[in-house]
Amino acid sequence: MDAATPETKRVEVLLFGPQAELAGVRSVGIDIAAGRTTCAEALSLVAERCAALRPSIASSRLAVDHAFADGCAVLRGDEELALIGMVGGG
Amino acid sequence: MSAAVTVRLFEGPLAASSTAEAPPGAGAVWVFEGRVRPEEDGRSLTALRYEAYPPMTTRQLEALAEEVRLAHGVFALHVEHSTARVPVGEVSFRLTVHSAHRKAGLAAADAFIDRMKRDVALWKTPLFAGEAEAARGG
Repeated sequence: MDAATPETKRVEVLLFGPQAELAGVRSVGIDIAAGRTTCAEALSLVAERCAALRPSIASSRLAVDHAFADGCAVLRGDEELALIGMVGGG
Repeated sequence: MSAAVTVRLFEGPLAASSTAEAPPGAGAVWVFEGRVRPEEDGRSLTALRYEAYPPMTTRQLEALAEEVRLAHGVFALHVEHSTARVPVGEVSFRLTVHSAHRKAGLAAADAFIDRMKRDVALWKTPLFAGEAEAARGG
């Protein structure tokens, strides 16, 4: 592989609660460019892959290894990713 | 994490009452219990299914409780929250706040609950009467 070409990795984004119900699955697979794709871009990829999640993506955040990540944070491709949206404890 | 903050997740409904001990000097003890209402959006419920994302959920609740404790100058916050299925009428959430005086405790409870509902990785899915419940757990 060309050193300048980022490796494409398939990663799973975990879904919970109403978003999992809407999507009908517990995770959505997206293809990212390791070391280049940002968290904000990953959220857009989730919306592209799953139309049922589009209305709630803008109010959702990505958790990377169990902590909220900034939209500009770059993904390596080996993290645990989770979509945190439509929360409602209590 | 301060011993003045505790967070516990339980599978299913919470037990009948809080077991948190009041620290010395606590002149006020607020106990808020959230129960599953019998209907949502005009439809009859049988239960709510709660879901957490451990350990993120517990970490968030602990950090939030400590932040609120310091911000409002209260002695302690104790958080109990259900996961999985909780039938209508049962307790799914309990927050106990120990403070010197009532106003600080009430403000702390209000702030904690608002933030929890907005930010913490906890979800609830309504299970409506007459609908088959999904087999998967919460």
